[in-house]
Amino acid sequence: MKLKKIASLSLAAVMALSLTACGGGASEAPAENKTETKAEGGAAAPAEGGEVVINFFHRWPNDPKNSMFKELIQQYMDENPNVTINMDCILNDQYKEKIRMVVSTDEVPDIFSSWSGTFAQEMIASGNVSELNEMYEADTDWSSAIAQASVDGFTFDGKIYAAPWSQDGKVFYYNKKIFAENNLEVPKTWNEFISVLDALKAAGYETPVVEGLADNWAILHYLGTMNQRMVDPAVLTKDYDPATGEFTDPAYTEVLKKWQQLTSYMGETCVAIDHETARNTYFATGEAPIMYLQFAEIPMLEKAIPEDFEYGFFNFPAFEEGKGDANALTGAPEGFMISNKAKNPEECQKFLKWLVSKNGGEALTTKCGDISSVAGAVDESNALPAQLEAMDIIKSASTLAPWFDNACDASVYTVYGQGAQAIATGDETPESVMEQVQEAAASLH
Amino acid sequence: MGWIILKKKRNLQALLFAIPALIILGTFVYFPLIRNIIYSFQDFTLSSTTKEWVGLDNYRTLLSDKTILICLKNNILYALISIVIQVGFGLVLAAVLEDVAFHKFAPFLRSVYFIPTVISMTVVCLLFEFVYNPQMGLLNSFLELIGLDELTAVWLGSKKTAMYAVIAVSQWQSTGYVTMLFIVAIQKIPRDLYEAAEVDGASKIKRFFYITVPQVKQMFFVTMILTVVGAFTVFNEPYILTGGGPGKATMVLSLHMYQTGFVKNNMGYASTIAMLIFVITAILSSVQFFTYGTEKEDR
Repeated sequence: MKLKKIASLSLAAVMALSLTACGGGASEAPAENKTETKAEGGAAAPAEGGEVVINFFHRWPNDPKNSMFKELIQQYMDENPNVTINMDCILNDQYKEKIRMVVSTDEVPDIFSSWSGTFAQEMIASGNVSELNEMYEADTDWSSAIAQASVDGFTFDGKIYAAPWSQDGKVFYYNKKIFAENNLEVPKTWNEFISVLDALKAAGYETPVVEGLADNWAILHYLGTMNQRMVDPAVLTKDYDPATGEFTDPAYTEVLKKWQQLTSYMGETCVAIDHETARNTYFATGEAPIMYLQFAEIPMLEKAIPEDFEYGFFNFPAFEEGKGDANALTGAPEGFMISNKAKNPEECQKFLKWLVSKNGGEALTTKCGDISSVAGAVDESNALPAQLEAMDIIKSASTLAPWFDNACDASVYTVYGQGAQAIATGDETPESVMEQVQEAAASLH
Repeated sequence: MGWIILKKKRNLQALLFAIPALIILGTFVYFPLIRNIIYSFQDFTLSSTTKEWVGLDNYRTLLSDKTILICLKNNILYALISIVIQVGFGLVLAAVLEDVAFHKFAPFLRSVYFIPTVISMTVVCLLFEFVYNPQMGLLNSFLELIGLDELTAVWLGSKKTAMYAVIAVSQWQSTGYVTMLFIVAIQKIPRDLYEAAEVDGASKIKRFFYITVPQVKQMFFVTMILTVVGAFTVFNEPYILTGGGPGKATMVLSLHMYQTGFVKNNMGYASTIAMLIFVITAILSSVQFFTYGTEKEDR
């Protein structure tokens, strides 16, 4: 009797536990099934002359991008009646988890989206990503139109692994009207920036600069840029490599001190709101005159602002004592990879070249507002002036510095993000956070 | 002779009937559990094809991981508050609803209290994000309306209030469920016990403590396991509301496990944290089982 009870009890505990363990994965299960059936469909299709099935997996299930992809794919399928493209998508973080799980298996999709930097390297390390040098060399008409800086983000040891689709950069947006009213100049250095913030505060703006600190990635975007500006590039390269990272340079602590200083201008509520709320309820309403935003956010911002709202851009100011390149721009390309397990690699390449072209690039910029990596995809006739300015800024940047969460290992940047959030609430000090970062980095080698 | 064969046949039949359940349990519960024990001694990532055997390394990390302490503290807080509110307050609520004075409204009120339970946790969390919103949230607006301006807070953004704000969501959602379980238990209590007590002149409060409480002991046991195991495996609320923040203020064990596995991409260590959660819930369940379960045998 008793034994039975114990058994049923431990069973209950096990079940409760396995329930939680499944929690994260449950939402992904249906998607997984989908890909599986698709993979089977691909295998069943006759290879020659007949139906070609391409499994296409990306990370934009929300509109306008999802419907744009649907339209583009429909258009391609109409032009090529023998091709069927199965599209599947899930959002950002879940996408990362899912693709990490399937990339090393036989269920890897034929074409899938990837970030540049460490994420791309992780995909490539699975051994299932096809090298595309031949595709670039065989069709120079196509490849010459693609921004070289974007291709660089996917090139490792001289081998190109993806076709870049979009490029992005992060700069401070400022409210031109408020700057003019207070006779403020665009700051070039950190001290100038701080004095601008002080001046705005004195003029009655309680939050001269705003950010939704509930979003860890938003914090990481700041820290990535600040580390890049402050720390000696050689030290940075060494520390971002999981095998050699130490994070003992005092410059890192200095960065977090600057971060502490910056967050003191963001107001108390910033830790409880997300990035989007900050953008729409603070920056777009004119309550906060400065915000650090991506170029990809131009269309969202355009929707939120009143008609007479004018905004401009300035790159992250240089630190007076900084050792990094102050003309670098934080931002990175995203692109599509082809699996080397694809059943019809030629057809995949053909579709990808069709997608990453003036045609797809124009759709991307005009419908979704992202900056395409295809040169000449947009001009005055079909893009907003702000988007053209953004393209110029990306072009004139000395280099593109990758996002922090694409530049170093997740164990390090997660600790960084949580620590920086706690600095903003006053619960941690720059020194104590750096200790945790050093510990996390040390545990990787 | 004949009955022995019959008995054997019956046993075989019984086994046959049990097989489907055993197969399902084996594949979906025991097999993953055993695999998880093996995983907890290995080092691997989501996309890695090989798993490296690292022995007790993961367990060593577990002992020196300061986040685990924060998680344990938060989970214990979660369990304590859940017991007081869900089990304690839930029982009182059930007793009140079953009282003759509420006879007319009881069915309506039962539904009112039960509704939160049938709403998806994700929806509940999104609702509470509006409640806690520092700019236009219901809670702060309400406090300002009744003149308690000094009590307004950035509920999810401050280390002091964040954990309590997250716990409150679960209480709002689950108390109705526990109340329902207690109502069922109270309805099973023979009426004559109450009538006899009433004849003896026992007050309502005395009847509650001397009849209702002892009679629903079995249900206490069930609800305690439910709430405590629930508190140690809680994931949705902190994941959606705060993501463990600000800093690590609302980090709980399962969220730490998730972040270690799927964000930091360290599946081996995540399995070790899963083992910790398993051991804790198994121990707590058996402690409660031995303290409550034996009394039933005596009766």
